[in-house]
Amino acid sequence: MKALQLATAALAVAFAPALALAAAPNDAQIAAIVLTANQVDIEAGDYAQAHASADDVKAFARQMVTDHTAVNKSATDLAGKLHLTPEDNPSAQSLKKGGDDNVAHLKTLSGAAFDRAYVDHEVAYHEAVLKALDSTLIPSAGNADLKALMVKVRPAFVAHLDHAKMLQARLDK
Amino acid sequence: MALVPAVAGAAPGPAHPSASAAPAARELAVAIDGMRFVPAALAVRPGDRVTWINKDLVPHTVTARDGRFDSKAIAAGASFTWTASGKGHVDYACLYHPTMVATLTLP
Repeated sequence: MKALQLATAALAVAFAPALALAAAPNDAQIAAIVLTANQVDIEAGDYAQAHASADDVKAFARQMVTDHTAVNKSATDLAGKLHLTPEDNPSAQSLKKGGDDNVAHLKTLSGAAFDRAYVDHEVAYHEAVLKALDSTLIPSAGNADLKALMVKVRPAFVAHLDHAKMLQARLDK
Repeated sequence: MALVPAVAGAAPGPAHPSASAAPAARELAVAIDGMRFVPAALAVRPGDRVTWINKDLVPHTVTARDGRFDSKAIAAGASFTWTASGKGHVDYACLYHPTMVATLTLP
């Protein structure tokens, strides 16, 4: 449980800059945050699908790669259509660092401990992403299409969270 | 044995013993939208063509628990059609997203 609490706290810090800004992120910054958030889960999933122990954890990891790649394609296509250049920012950088730290940590683990750490992080990560979508990214979006895209993908993140929690419950047994 | 009345433009076909009995096969649609099947429960009859349309940005499958249909991957924007057969409740799910479940019911 402690690892999960640490992971959740770390993720809260990663998103804290976006939430704590006096001014909300602009659309270019939102685009960068969304693309980075997806890319972080793709990288974790890439590593986990090759190194996880249980088949259902590997399948979940593969799904994270598939789904977050699809969402990033839609986000990139929309940014192109809107002539929106994603603008790097402290929130996106924090996410990237958190993602790199997670993979570095996973590289020290194997077997059931690996699966546990990966799944626990996925639960905390999807919870944090949903919170950021709801509290900051969706409300701050200026462009209607950008806002609509984030609203459209939100259910996928909820489904991912539910799936990760199912795995967490199974690993608890 | 009654003959089917000729329909303008149609070639005469074989005589049908009960021309008025079988209802016409229907084209039915289920949307895959927001990680849900809409509608989640659908009554169908043998011969109905059920088309699932993936309106999400991520791929899905429609896979019957008893194996009577499996779409394999349905890409975003793509669709899959099954001609209904058999009887009873057919529980199905998306193999990629285990929380996505729904039912077809045949007589």
